[in-house]
Amino acid sequence: MASKQETLTSERRHKTIASVVLSIICIIYVMPIVTVVINSFKKNTFVKTDTFALPNAETAAGWANFIKGMTFGNYPFMASVANSVIITVISTFLILFFCSMAAWYIARVNSKFCKVIYYLCIFSMVVPFQMVMFTLSKTADVLKLNTPFTIPIVYLGFGAGLAIFMFVGFVKSIPIEIEEAASIDGCGPVRTFFRVVLPMLKPTLISVGILEVMWVWNDYLLPYLVLDINKYRTIPIHIQYLKGSYGTVDLGATMALILLSIIPVIVFYLALQKYIIKGVAAGAVKG
Amino acid sequence: MAEVSLKHIEKIYPNIEGEKKHFFGKKKDAPKKKSNLKQVDGGVLAVEDFNLDIADREFIVLVGPSGCGKSTTLRMVAGLEEITSGELYIDGKLMNDVAPKDRDIAMVFQSYALYPHMTVRENMAFPLKLRNVPKDQIDKKVEEAASILGITEYLDRKPKALSGGQRQRVAIGRAIVREPKVLLMDEPLSNLDAKLRNQMRAEIIKLRQRIDTTFIYVTHDQTEAMTLGDRIVIMRDGVVQQVGTPQELFDHPANLFVAGFIGVPQMNFFDAKLTKDGDIYKVKVGDATFVPSEAKQKRLAAKGVTPQDVTLGIRPEHVTLTDDAPELVTGTVDVSEMMGSSIHLHLNTLGKDVIVIVQTQDLKEEKRGGFKLGEKVSFTFGGDVIHLFGKDDEKNLEF
Repeated sequence: MASKQETLTSERRHKTIASVVLSIICIIYVMPIVTVVINSFKKNTFVKTDTFALPNAETAAGWANFIKGMTFGNYPFMASVANSVIITVISTFLILFFCSMAAWYIARVNSKFCKVIYYLCIFSMVVPFQMVMFTLSKTADVLKLNTPFTIPIVYLGFGAGLAIFMFVGFVKSIPIEIEEAASIDGCGPVRTFFRVVLPMLKPTLISVGILEVMWVWNDYLLPYLVLDINKYRTIPIHIQYLKGSYGTVDLGATMALILLSIIPVIVFYLALQKYIIKGVAAGAVKG
Repeated sequence: MAEVSLKHIEKIYPNIEGEKKHFFGKKKDAPKKKSNLKQVDGGVLAVEDFNLDIADREFIVLVGPSGCGKSTTLRMVAGLEEITSGELYIDGKLMNDVAPKDRDIAMVFQSYALYPHMTVRENMAFPLKLRNVPKDQIDKKVEEAASILGITEYLDRKPKALSGGQRQRVAIGRAIVREPKVLLMDEPLSNLDAKLRNQMRAEIIKLRQRIDTTFIYVTHDQTEAMTLGDRIVIMRDGVVQQVGTPQELFDHPANLFVAGFIGVPQMNFFDAKLTKDGDIYKVKVGDATFVPSEAKQKRLAAKGVTPQDVTLGIRPEHVTLTDDAPELVTGTVDVSEMMGSSIHLHLNTLGKDVIVIVQTQDLKEEKRGGFKLGEKVSFTFGGDVIHLFGKDDEKNLEF
C-alpha cells in the first residue's frame, strides 16, 4: 500500500517537473512574439532601452508606429501586402494543384522514372537553399521569373519536395479499388482525379496548404534575391527597408509591421489547424 | 443483360513487380508469386486457356481457393486487368481493348469501394451523372434501387456512418442503378460476419429475380457458389477444373479436387482397388467389397476402365452407420460434433479421417447426446453414391 502511494507521489512529482520544464520552453518560444507585440506599441527610443518592459504612459506610442510603418518611405506598404498576397496565393495554389497530381501518378505507377522523381523530391528537401540561391537568382532573372506573378514557379520548385512527400504518403493509403470503381462508373483519369481522388485528399491539401502559406508568406531571402526590389517588395522586404536617410532604423515601426504581417498567418493557421492533425494522422492508418 | 464469351483467355504476370493495370498502365502492388502457378517464358501464368460462354441473364459463379485466378478473370472481364491472350466478347463485341467505362458493366468490390466524401445518394447517382442522365431520372432510379435494397433511410448519410452490411448494399445499389449489361461481383460478402452473409446471400437471390442482367460472381465460399449460381466454374491454379450446374458438380465431380471442394463437410476419400469379376466392376475398401450401381457400371464399361488402384469418394451424408449390412467398414470415433439435428462423427478408418453425418432422430435415445471417443462403429454405403477417381490423374473414371 505504502509503495503504491510512493509510486503515485513520484508520478505526480515527475508530472510537475515536466509541466514546469515545458512551460519554460513554451515561454521561450512565445517570448519573441510577445516582445514584438510589446515593442510595437512603444516609442522608438524606448525599444532599445526598455525592450522587455510593458509600455507605460511615458513609453507608449499608441498607433503611431503602425501609421508610421505603413506610410514610411517611398514604397507603399499596401503594394507590398498585395505582392505578398499574390505570391502566397498563386504559389500555394500551384504547389497544391501540381504536387497532388504528381503525387497521385508517382504513388500509382511503379516505374523507375517515378522512383527517380520521388527520390529527387525527397532530395530537394535536404539541399539547403543557400547552396542554390546564387545560381537560382541568375536563372530566375534570365527566365523572367522576377515578378510576383512568375516567382510562384520558383516556389513551386522549392515547395514540391515536401508537398509530394506528404501527398504520396496519403495517396498510398487510399484503397485502389475506389479508383477502379470510378473507372468502371465512367471516369477517365482526369475525372477520377478531380471527382474522386482530390476530394479524398482534402485533409492533406489543407495541411500542406497551411505549411506552404506560412513558408511563402514569411519568406524573405528568396524574393529578396529574385524580385526586382525597386519594383516589387513583399512584406518582409518592406520591413527590411524601413530605414531613415542615414540608415537609422525605426524599431517601433518595424515591430508594428512585423506584428501586422504575422496576424494573417496566425489567423489562417488557427482557423485550419485542426485539419493539420487530421492530415498528419490520415496517412498513418489505412482507413 | 448480355451474353459474355471468353475464348482462350490467358493472363501472364511478368516476373517483375508492378503489373496490375491502372489508368497509367501499371500499378504499385504486384500480385504475389504463387508457387503452384505455372512458370512460362513471359512470367507466371495466372489464368490458363479460360473458355466459357455465359448466356444472357445467367448467374455464373467463379469459385476456387485463394490464388486460383478467379478474381483475375473477373478483373479481365471488367477491364481492370489486361488480357494477355484470348478474346473477350460482351454482347458479341470484342472488348479486349475497350476501357472499363465503355464496357457497360458494373462491379461490386469486396471492400465496397464507396466514395467516402459522397453521401449514399451521391454514391449511387455518380455513375448516372457521369452519363449525363437527367436529374429527375437519376432521382427516380436511385430511389428505386434504394427501396429494393432497403437503404432509403440512409440516402443522406456518408458511408462512414453505415455498417458493413449497409455499405455493401450501397455498393450493390451503385452497381444496379445503371442497369448494366453485366454485373460483376468480387467476393462481395467476404467482409461480412456469418449471419449477415447469410442474410445478404438471400438478398442477392431476391435481387437477381428483380433485375434483368447477367451476373458473374466470384467467391471462395462453396456454399455461396452452390446457392447462387446457375452454373459454377471451379478453378484451381489458374485452370478451370469443371463447369456445371451445382447439382452436376455435386453429383458428378470431374476430379478429386472438385469432389473435395464442393460439399460441406467435404467428401471422404479411401484408397481402394477396382476389380472386374466378369463384366461386373467391384471396389474393395479394406475388407469390404462394394458393387457400383448399374449406371456406373455402364459408364465405366463404356470408358473401358481397367482394374486398377483407385481413390473412392463418398459424401458424409451418403454413409450409413449400421452393424447390419453385408459389407461393413469399421472405425473408431475421434471426434463427435453435436450439430443439433445431426451429429458429425469423425472416424479413424483405415488410417484416414472419415466424416459421417448421422441424423439424431435416427439414433437410439442414449446415442443422441453424442458418441464416446474411441468407440468402435461400423458403416456402409450404397454402390450408387460412390465416386471413383484415378490414382494418377485424379480424374473421375466415369467421365
